[in-house]
Amino acid sequence: MLEKKIRCPSCDFVQTVNGEPGQTVKITCPSCNNVGAFQFPKDPSLHPSDDTSSAISVVELTKTFESVSAVDSATFHIKKGEIFGFLGPNGAGKTTTIKAILGLLYPDKGEIRINGTNIFTDEKKAKSQIGYLPEKVAFYDNLTALQNLMFYAEIKQVSKQCCQPLLNEFGLADAVDKKVGAFSKGMLQRLGMARAVMGDPSILILDEPSSGLDPRGVVFMREKIKHMQQRGATVLVSSHILGEIQEMCDRVCIINKGKIVAVDRIDNLGTRLHLRPKIVILLEKMTEKILKAVEKLKDVDHVETTGTLLEVNCLASAKANVILSVVKAGGNIMNLQIREPSLEDVFMRFTED
Amino acid sequence: MNISFLHHPIVLIAKKEIMDNIRNKWILLMTGIFAALTLLISYFGSLGQGWQDLGLTIAGMMALVQYLIPIIGLMLGYAAIVGEIERGSMSALLSFPLKRIEVLIGKFLGLGGVLSFSLLVGFGIAGIVISANVSEVDIGQYLIFLLASVLLGLVFVALSLLASSFFHNRSTAMGLAIFLWFFFTMIWGIIMLGVAMLSMDVETAFTSGFPDWYYAINIINPISAYGTLVSLNVGPVSSSFTEQAFSNPAFYSSELMATILFLWIAISLIIAYIFFKKRDI
Ligand SMILES: Nc1ncnc2c1ncn2[C@@H]1O[C@H](COP(=O)(O)OP(=O)(O)OP(=O)(O)O)[C@@H](O)[C@H]1O
Ligand SMILES: [Mg+2]
Repeated sequence: MLEKKIRCPSCDFVQTVNGEPGQTVKITCPSCNNVGAFQFPKDPSLHPSDDTSSAISVVELTKTFESVSAVDSATFHIKKGEIFGFLGPNGAGKTTTIKAILGLLYPDKGEIRINGTNIFTDEKKAKSQIGYLPEKVAFYDNLTALQNLMFYAEIKQVSKQCCQPLLNEFGLADAVDKKVGAFSKGMLQRLGMARAVMGDPSILILDEPSSGLDPRGVVFMREKIKHMQQRGATVLVSSHILGEIQEMCDRVCIINKGKIVAVDRIDNLGTRLHLRPKIVILLEKMTEKILKAVEKLKDVDHVETTGTLLEVNCLASAKANVILSVVKAGGNIMNLQIREPSLEDVFMRFTED
Repeated sequence: MNISFLHHPIVLIAKKEIMDNIRNKWILLMTGIFAALTLLISYFGSLGQGWQDLGLTIAGMMALVQYLIPIIGLMLGYAAIVGEIERGSMSALLSFPLKRIEVLIGKFLGLGGVLSFSLLVGFGIAGIVISANVSEVDIGQYLIFLLASVLLGLVFVALSLLASSFFHNRSTAMGLAIFLWFFFTMIWGIIMLGVAMLSMDVETAFTSGFPDWYYAINIINPISAYGTLVSLNVGPVSSSFTEQAFSNPAFYSSELMATILFLWIAISLIIAYIFFKKRDI
């Protein structure tokens, strides 16, 4: 008997269906009565876990700490060469998932593959392809920045010659011979990033890379991440800074209370949630005529007024029409703003209770 | 030595531990303590009659080193693993292409190497000074004492790594380390006495000898095995060894004592690995 979680395409309700391999089951959504069907794969071994084209494959990952279910059968696949954003509220299970991917903690259940290599059976091969920036960046405090990097270079079997240039590249040229114990949070973060990219790994796993960085540092880090992608690396990056994720990620995964609630491109997620742009118009004078004109337009689904402020939710294609009809109805537009649906809206919708 | 051996993760981890102990001068301090102690006991132990020979020096030192070597071994390693996990550097280290077993063995070899070096050099320097001042020199006895001390040190380094792999913070690991020291140096003797009193007529046992099983249990304690190993090989020790005023049973042998010490090292490391391997970092 196989089990599969199915998300209703129209209302996003998730239900679990059971069936035998090869069997097609009819599904009716208990929430909106939408009807569909799902065919279980004939051979369970053809399950996506054998997907060798993925850089990172996580299948049915489950991890419980004492009684806390930190990650609950999470499945997702990260394609080679993409920047993959990992989002979720505090305590959602991001760090736990990342640590499991690296073999730092043993999951109760699940399979993890790095470029097709199982992390638990061929640990060294899997890990040799990864550069990791932990959430809590730590070094050997009694050693200098350079001594630290040299130690890791030896472990990674890359030339120690790369250490000094790396420190320069990450803005630590003045701190080369400073003991890491005396580093500020931002300096530690930079040094952590230098350690992660050492030896040009094909996969980068970054747990909140911009935490503790100044605004310039945040931009710098983002550029570095994009640069690594251009050089062919796959990047898994967790962050709470949605603007940053929106700007650089090809796809995102949203995890909430240990469960994966969405994996997709950001614009697709917006469409799936029927998120609409919002037009905010400040008028000189609000009239009944303007309101009527806008309300009767096609593809406008919500109109709201506060004083002389008019807020309209509509399809992207109707934006121009809204403005035109306001003008035609005699409205004098003082100011205009269009708010496109953002990752923040997506995030809020997927992580609400 | 070929290049790939020097770049093996085990060797790199061991080297790091050794370098740390050179940097913080621990290795120098311990070497100094071992040398000074030996010289002091040799010179002043005879109550004003000058240098004693090596055998008598060892006999004078036994009571002290039996306490000292275990506590130094335990203190060297109790934080080696749990400390790195607590600080966070372990998750970075283990994200590199190396295995947990390599980290554990590397730390054991590095810390064991530091303690062995201090013992060999500290006792060695003292041995040379003493030899230059006394007429009769038995190098063989002294070498056995040195090697036995190194083995005892390695047992307690292995035990400290066991404590370090088992607990989730430094302070509890240190608690276990201190308990182990108390257990093997003090509590063990009390237990052995209790066992004797409950199971036999102690008065007659002291005059006519203990049963073999009692001797067998006694040398499970690595410190007893160490003491016996030295006393079996160093004449003056067996004659002055107060606890062993009675003769050793026939089945006591140097090989058996060395085997017991090796087993302690191996078993401690295996159990340490079992804990470390399963840990969430
Ligand atoms: N070592 C641990 N022992 C017990 N519980 C843990 C441990 N590590 C994590 N948890 C719990 O697992 C859950 C997920 O934690 P995790 O660190 O993965 O969250 P996160 O998504 O990374 O959060 P944040 O955004 O705050 O970094 C939380 O409820 C946390 O309390
Ligand atoms: Mg986290």
